[in-house]
Amino acid sequence: MPRESEIDIRGCKLFLRRAGKGPSLLFLHGAQGLSGWLPAFEELAARFDVLVPDHPGFGRSDNPDWIDDVPDLAYFYLDVLAALDLGAVHLVGQSLGGWIALEMAVRSTQRIKSLTLADSAGIRVKGVPRADMFICGQEELAQLLFAGDGATAWLAEWSAPERAEVYDRNRFAAAKFTWQPRLFNPKLEKWLHRIDVPTHILWGDEDKVIPPPYAAVLQEKIAGARMTMLPRCGHLPHLERPDLFAREVARFIETVAQ
Amino acid sequence: MKVFVFHLMPYAYLDMGYREKYRAPWVVLPNSYFDPKKGHELYNRYLDELELAAESGFDGISVNEHHQNAYGLMPSPIVTAAALARRTKSCKIAILGSAFCLREHPLTLAEEHAMLDTITGGRLISGMVRGIGAEYYSMGVNPAFSLSRFQEAHDLVIQAWTRPSPFAFEGKHYHFEYVNVWPRPYQQPHPPIWCPSTGSTETIEWASHPSRRYVYVQNYSPIRSVVKYLNQYRQAAANIHGYAASSEQIGWAAPCYVADTDEQARNEARQHIEVLFNRLLRLPFDMMFPPGYLSAASLRNMRSHKASVTGQEHTVESLIEHGIILCGNPDTVRRRLVESHRLLGFQNFLALLQFGTLPHDLTEKNIRLFAKEVLPALQSLTDKEYAGMEAQAAE
Repeated sequence: MPRESEIDIRGCKLFLRRAGKGPSLLFLHGAQGLSGWLPAFEELAARFDVLVPDHPGFGRSDNPDWIDDVPDLAYFYLDVLAALDLGAVHLVGQSLGGWIALEMAVRSTQRIKSLTLADSAGIRVKGVPRADMFICGQEELAQLLFAGDGATAWLAEWSAPERAEVYDRNRFAAAKFTWQPRLFNPKLEKWLHRIDVPTHILWGDEDKVIPPPYAAVLQEKIAGARMTMLPRCGHLPHLERPDLFAREVARFIETVAQ
Repeated sequence: MKVFVFHLMPYAYLDMGYREKYRAPWVVLPNSYFDPKKGHELYNRYLDELELAAESGFDGISVNEHHQNAYGLMPSPIVTAAALARRTKSCKIAILGSAFCLREHPLTLAEEHAMLDTITGGRLISGMVRGIGAEYYSMGVNPAFSLSRFQEAHDLVIQAWTRPSPFAFEGKHYHFEYVNVWPRPYQQPHPPIWCPSTGSTETIEWASHPSRRYVYVQNYSPIRSVVKYLNQYRQAAANIHGYAASSEQIGWAAPCYVADTDEQARNEARQHIEVLFNRLLRLPFDMMFPPGYLSAASLRNMRSHKASVTGQEHTVESLIEHGIILCGNPDTVRRRLVESHRLLGFQNFLALLQFGTLPHDLTEKNIRLFAKEVLPALQSLTDKEYAGMEAQAAE
């Protein structure tokens, strides 16, 4: 099990899970938040020093007024990296976490060794429809997030009464950061050429929330980016295909980015 | 008591087959369901109904704002209020309300309200609302900032109406170098502000603040919620803000239908009121309350409140039983209202006399009968007839 701690960054308490040995890997979660330490993290912890925070507003972290959009989160996490003083880390972001990672990387890659973007938000590909994760109830959302039967376990986990409060809290934070413009920053795409670290685009081939054409555009815009499509997988590969997800993340880092 | 007739202007020709394909008559229902020729007929009919109310002795008539749905055809209440401004002479015109915070540029609304107030010689009441949660989908506004945008848009508009101008407005959401609204409102310092709500603690505490003392109007609620929230307003004034709220600050809005007998009233209202509650107001919870629109505590409250209003299939009988609507012969409705006033002391009442698919002939009959048989008794009610919160608790 991971060590749990709170770190204070300019008055914002950030809840952090950490386990494993090896090069540091920072995982940035998506708009649904995290239910805890996951099997995919455990796999990665066999090879890496894995750090998994709850973003400000999510889970057990503070929700300060002064962090109110994704560029704020990007500067905040650059401050987190400076405070942790880990040297350069492997940054892995899923969905909203991928968007934060992109915003960090266009600002500075000084403390970023490689970038892995899993079903990442952040840009808008015109004409490619995305599912609306806010307008539906929990059951329908579960169907949108998964390609296969992972939906059942996800729903069982998040519909538990003791999770209701954190579910509402995560949805509130997700709306704050992603509602408008929905899941992207119109200013981001034109700066993607600034990303100068090895980049891996990892995507569920049945993602309905941010469909695969988004992966192709990111690959086109980020010089030298590799792409791996995960079969029979939806928007949450770290939950739906944890073994495959961890293996592909590790393989890219160890073969390309080390 | 001041008594208003309130209109939602629903799309009464909605093909109810929509339910097989679409989850709600809001946000996702295609506008191909709207027939402009029928819309033309409805707008003019509804305006006629409000004009009839103005001629029938009501203190005011009221319009409101809703976006992208079949529930209410007034995306701009300014248009309907302007149409009524020159066709009425002495009654108040209440916009309940304008969602200033749904706009990127609330100053345009501040200008339009000031125009209406000036054209009518000070007959405008300005309602300030946050909009229904569904409208944050339709208008692309972030619900997580709804409350802070609402409060800041309010500050901007009030300052635009009252501060020496031009001045710069420096907010979090709104930034203007030159705020200098022409015309100024006719009423000084500004038109009365009303806040209709279904019981948000944030709205109640904010509206009752001594620097505002805005009229709080509870709408679409079972009588036990009306009791709870109208008392909550008085308690917030007393316990948080340290003053006794005047009954002029309290209002209630409810659908009403009167006919010669209780049975006739129920039978005539039945299908039309059931369309309002079982169809037009039927939204999935996450569409009605997007994340961030309510605080965590209000969200939990609303889950139980909504279960009672929009979470179940209603009949005219269940709506009457819960006190969500008033329906019966004039004596029944009058007695119910007078008794509620004795317990709650609201000095403002808004009657929704057209609802759902209620056709013009029944709406007109309802307006005339209510005006003749119920209205005079209500208008004579003063604070003297209010028993006070202590008496209510004792009962």
